[in-house]
Amino acid sequence: MQLRTKVALATAAIAAAPLLVFLMPAGPAGAHGTLSDPASRVYTCRQEGPENPRSAACKAAVAAGGTQALYDWNEVSLLEAGGRHRQLIPDGKLCSAGREKYRGLDLRRNDWPAKRISPGNLTVTYHATAPHANSNFEFYITRQGWNPTMPLRWSDLVHIRTFTNQNPTTFTNWTINIPQRTGRHLIYSIWQRVVGSNEAFYTCSDVDFGGGNPAPNPTVSDPNPTPSQTTQPPQPGGTWQAGTTYAVGNRVTYGGGTYECRQPHTAIAGWEPSNVPALWLAI
Amino acid sequence: MKHVAVAVLVAVLAGCGASGTAAPTAPTGSPAATAAPTGQGFNATDVMFLQMMVPHHGQGLEMVRIAQIRPVRPEVRMLAAAIESTQANEAENMAGWLRAWQQPAEAPADSHAAHGGMPGTSAAEIATLRTASDADFERRFLNMLIAHQDDAIQMARMEAAGGANAQATGLAKQIDRSRTAQIKQMLAYLEPY
Repeated sequence: MQLRTKVALATAAIAAAPLLVFLMPAGPAGAHGTLSDPASRVYTCRQEGPENPRSAACKAAVAAGGTQALYDWNEVSLLEAGGRHRQLIPDGKLCSAGREKYRGLDLRRNDWPAKRISPGNLTVTYHATAPHANSNFEFYITRQGWNPTMPLRWSDLVHIRTFTNQNPTTFTNWTINIPQRTGRHLIYSIWQRVVGSNEAFYTCSDVDFGGGNPAPNPTVSDPNPTPSQTTQPPQPGGTWQAGTTYAVGNRVTYGGGTYECRQPHTAIAGWEPSNVPALWLAI
Repeated sequence: MKHVAVAVLVAVLAGCGASGTAAPTAPTGSPAATAAPTGQGFNATDVMFLQMMVPHHGQGLEMVRIAQIRPVRPEVRMLAAAIESTQANEAENMAGWLRAWQQPAEAPADSHAAHGGMPGTSAAEIATLRTASDADFERRFLNMLIAHQDDAIQMARMEAAGGANAQATGLAKQIDRSRTAQIKQMLAYLEPY
């Protein structure tokens, strides 16, 4: 059924070629792929099974971030990246693309399932569920001296090669030249769509050159320590304030207006009284 | 036959919308593309954003409704209830804008097939919430909703960058901020685990 639709669309695409020049910018949302060889962390854990992963690292990723990230293995992406990867993704969160949904992929541990590789030519394979024509693929490897118990920072990445204006298929292979390394490292890739979307995809694939890393540290650490919530007492009659828990009937002022709380909640940015009539009644 | 196929393609592409790099103009071939009754214009990104967000909100509503009939901490229940009423209100507004613009409530089935489907939480995944044990429920719920709202942030940023309609881009910015804050709150609720 789906195949038939795609064939029909392909036929239509040929018929409507001039139209496509303007309309092809489609497809911002969703979903498209990851490195399958060497398998990215999300691909590995997805293959193991989101509900019952085998490896300790994938178990920990699920414990840290839930299963949804693994069901959506082909979406470790930013819809509005537009090449601004280094501005948008903070150090330490490169494997999750800085997205909380994928925070389990940032876990710093030295037991992520890793492919044994050697310096020299390595064929890598990208699995794209929705191939997008005209894309750039950048490949990096972590610097000598890095190990997977350390946070992954942009400055840890050494560029290997970029393939520009690629038209990927479902499985696309490239050969990249791997430099000399020892122990465990990461191959990092960025798939930046060029035409029609700003979307980019990010992958972290664990590889092992053998020989061990200097100063291995088996400590598992949480990459996202979250400060605990501070709840302040309601201030009826006061100015609306994020972080305050309001009860029904509490009154606040906000932006020159007065509002009465309709439903108990803890105030957050984006839930200003003027924005959420479901929570606040203007009086 | 070929004409039908082309029409489908146009509908599909209009439904999928333009990206942030495209000029914020009305989509070619879309009737009523410029004159919404509110007097505000809209473009293909606005339409696609709303068509994706309405069902996406529906999935979120399903999750928070399940949470309110399961044993969860009071603060989690309070957040779930507040998300339910605010998102129900947003979904109503968004569906209303689509109607006012004379655009379909949802994109045609499979219209996102070319790019792998829209981000979302499938019925099967939501079903795992229903069958989760009481002991497992709260953590599973929080993780699922964090992932869900994280997807919403991505769509909202696309709309904020590429949309043309002031109401829709305004809501997108509000969705970005409120979901970011909700995620922060939920991550704090996960701390004891």
